[in-house]
Amino acid sequence: MSDTAAAADTDANVDQSLKEAYFTASQGQLIWARFKKQRAAMVGAAVLIALILAGLFAPFLTPYDPTIKGRNPDYQNGAPNIPKFWDENGFSFRPFIYSYERTRSIETNFRWVTTVNRDKRRYVVLFPEGDEYTLLGIKFNTHLFGVDEGKIHLFGTDGTGKDIFSRTFHSINTSLAVGTIGVLIAFVLALIIGGISGYYGGWVDSILQMITDAVRTVPAIPLFMAIAAFIPDTVSSEGRFFIISIILGFIGWPTLARRVRTHLLTERNQEYVLAAQLCGAPAGHVIRRHLLPSFTSYIIVDLIISFPYMVLSETALSFIGLGLKEPVNSLGVLLQNVTKADVLLNYQWNFIPVIFFITLVLAFVFVGDGLRDAADPYADTKK
Amino acid sequence: MTLSGRLGGAQTPMLHFIQFAATRAALAVITLIMVSFIVFSLMELVPGDCAERYLAFKNTTGAQISIEDIEAERVRLGLDKPYVVRWGVWIVNAFQGDFGDSCILRLNISQLLGEKFWISLLICLTSLLLAYLIAIPVGIISATSKSPIVNNSLRLVSYLGLAMPNFLLALMIMLFSTMVFGDSLTGLFSKEFRDAEWSYERVMDFLSRAWLPIFILGWSATAFAIQTVRALMSDEVGKLYVLAASARGVSGRRLLWRYPARHSLGPIINSLGFDLNRIFNELPIVALILTLTEAGALLIEALARSNDQQLAGAIIFLLTASIVGINFVTDIILALTDPRVRRSILG
Repeated sequence: MSDTAAAADTDANVDQSLKEAYFTASQGQLIWARFKKQRAAMVGAAVLIALILAGLFAPFLTPYDPTIKGRNPDYQNGAPNIPKFWDENGFSFRPFIYSYERTRSIETNFRWVTTVNRDKRRYVVLFPEGDEYTLLGIKFNTHLFGVDEGKIHLFGTDGTGKDIFSRTFHSINTSLAVGTIGVLIAFVLALIIGGISGYYGGWVDSILQMITDAVRTVPAIPLFMAIAAFIPDTVSSEGRFFIISIILGFIGWPTLARRVRTHLLTERNQEYVLAAQLCGAPAGHVIRRHLLPSFTSYIIVDLIISFPYMVLSETALSFIGLGLKEPVNSLGVLLQNVTKADVLLNYQWNFIPVIFFITLVLAFVFVGDGLRDAADPYADTKK
Repeated sequence: MTLSGRLGGAQTPMLHFIQFAATRAALAVITLIMVSFIVFSLMELVPGDCAERYLAFKNTTGAQISIEDIEAERVRLGLDKPYVVRWGVWIVNAFQGDFGDSCILRLNISQLLGEKFWISLLICLTSLLLAYLIAIPVGIISATSKSPIVNNSLRLVSYLGLAMPNFLLALMIMLFSTMVFGDSLTGLFSKEFRDAEWSYERVMDFLSRAWLPIFILGWSATAFAIQTVRALMSDEVGKLYVLAASARGVSGRRLLWRYPARHSLGPIINSLGFDLNRIFNELPIVALILTLTEAGALLIEALARSNDQQLAGAIIFLLTASIVGINFVTDIILALTDPRVRRSILG
């Protein structure tokens, strides 16, 4: 009897402490609790983290330098090498690939032809030393895997003999970097313009809104293609990288600015704002310290949702040759040559990077959607 | 004041409507003027002007060019006038459909673009129409359906639409069709019809090839549209007036179509302009992949290859003008069907 009473008591206690935890939880904890419940979003987040790490540690994870420096002149337009454990010559505990030779003779009509030699195996080795790279400011030359002799190309090679596997991983890095800079620029612009527009209201708001609407009406990609076309060819590849990121930032700001403005317009009449103003706080202080924190979570969600569009816009620009250029690797750069009939018919492995990018964008979309639902305080009451 | 205002509104709804239409038209023109300023400034930013280019071309034919020649040419082309004057002239001509000559191709831009622009616009509008023809029924079904299979498969489709941008889809279709059919399905016309006059055969030839760009451009538009329709419908379905209607005995498709669907379609009509904007964004790249010969391809040609700022400016201006036009038309349609919109503008 007393046992059940004690149990009920502890139940009540647990219940009470749960409630307390719920009511005292910070916004971040609440969002995380709701986010954890969504399976698709959690899978997306896991994939996303894996891809980000893959991008960051690309130089280590991939066997070769992605630029022309790491090319394999003996294996141009080469098919993917798939490591095997056994074949007709027997079983091996170490995975191996076949060696290939590049020959030209009267039989091949004097064209270079790559032939696979199935009798000569190349064994996969871990942590071989190869092309030098810099990671976290330190120089390394150890890579995760390689082969004991010659080179291994998991995804094949392109027309100049560059390793598509290495290029794909490096381009994830580039896309994430471009996206991050682009999103940050869009964010700052949106905060300034949306903030001023929403806080002051009135005619300032009307004029800023008219400008924003006019900018929103122009199709962004054609407009920014026009701007990108004017980047002189003499700009270095790093300079180009930053200019393209800035251009992408300019594509993204109007939508975000509108959100910030709408929110500020409703919030600025609240009493806490009046209180701050009566204490003599200047406008900038009120916006920064009181208004913005009231919807930080929404802004973060918006940023994550707009991220894939940045990545895709960069891809589109680079693809048509107006965005990034070699030796920088990005998906658009990788895809520049694939519309040739030759590639479409014979070298389809050039399309492998596309799979990674669809995964990357999908992961972002899933996480963004999950966060949006999690950040909505009314999500539970709706259902 | 409010009473007389309301009475006035009730007495002359026609006047009210004309007033609204005029306000919207004025706003559209102001937007176009601002856009033209952006486009014109962009054209001016390009290093080197038309006179230099024109004479540089003449130089290649062997003629000797001096600084005075360039100055004379500038005066002839009106490039010596101040910026604002040239902008004014450009915009007045642009509103009359005249964009001057392209100084790279030395051809009249209106003639060069003419038919190509209309074909592009037709393709884009058709894919937009297609997107909504699919999205409205599908979105309504998915918003009201409780079946997890329907919902999850629709979710998947819309995610794919978001993650697979049109140009990647175009690439994939090209890859697939080359591998399976041995034909890359590119171009808008067969060889024999490319420069022919319009005839029945040419229209049929066009239709037999235009379905692919229409499908590709409509792809992500459809995914977006399904999401929008679904979100708007799920907001409306739970409201009290729907419950009240069903309590009065209206049910099934009739209930959905007469009550929540009518409410949720308003914002959709309103956003058509932005959907068109999104399709225009994809147009040049899809055009490049499918080697279409229309305005999108010309834009790429103008930008990536020849740096032809007059042509690029004209195309961007025309694309924006069609978006502004669509926005204006949809606003008018909305005002005709929904008096709340008229009020919101006129107060």
